[in-house]
Amino acid sequence: MHFHLSTQNGVSVLVIEGELDALSVVELRPLISQVGEERPPKMVVDLSRLRLIDSSGVGAIVALFKVVRAYGGNLVVDGVRDQPLAILRLLHLDRVLIREVAR
Amino acid sequence: MIEFTRANGCNIIRLEVPGRIEYRDVVLRTVSSACKLMIPDSRSHASRCSEFTAHMVSAIGEAYNNIVLHGYAGREIGSVRMQIESSFDWMRITISDLGASFDPFQAPPPDLEALPESGLGVFIMRSFVDEVSYTAGPPNILTLVKRLDGDDGNGPNRVGLTEGKAS
Repeated sequence: MHFHLSTQNGVSVLVIEGELDALSVVELRPLISQVGEERPPKMVVDLSRLRLIDSSGVGAIVALFKVVRAYGGNLVVDGVRDQPLAILRLLHLDRVLIREVAR
Repeated sequence: MIEFTRANGCNIIRLEVPGRIEYRDVVLRTVSSACKLMIPDSRSHASRCSEFTAHMVSAIGEAYNNIVLHGYAGREIGSVRMQIESSFDWMRITISDLGASFDPFQAPPPDLEALPESGLGVFIMRSFVDEVSYTAGPPNILTLVKRLDGDDGNGPNRVGLTEGKAS
């Protein structure tokens, strides 16, 4: 799993690539704390290059969403497809998180 | 260790790995490959193959997580054995381990409206297959069955539970 956080036109963009699972999710936890401290008002999580996610990975995305929502920010997930999309749909998170669903 | 045989019209793949999270990828790539073998004409059935594979990989991933993160936690790490049997329209995966028993039917269903950050694994596993059975060990034996035109993955499936020796 690789990720990087950047700012584009005033929006914080978090790109997560590869596999976000029980093994790799620990690498993402410090970033969740960082977002809580920096408080970007708008955030997009780009999952277009995420190949696989499990319940641990979903937990991290939800935790990030809650952190952003708690300080009044806005977070959407973009570009999700295939197995990660199936998981988000099953958990009804597509209704909460996804801006544009790949079809 | 991995072994492939064919018997009675079924492909059978057997895999044994140490019960560590680092071997998760090996397990899931084997499941994914088995799905592609089962639906060989993937060009004309790309969507069906992709969905079937996504569901099966997700279900086995959660089952494997439970074994290595909970079943073998705090005890000597043993192996995880997996057998994948498939015909043209169904797949049955049996996973056995020597860790602490974990009855998937005792896990409470998550309150999805509350946006839970944990406790989702068993729900995902049960939702994406058509049949689940579990026998407490040792060895613990979990069997998942999915049919090509089975459940659409929108909720927990029918269940069948065989109780073995309690942990």
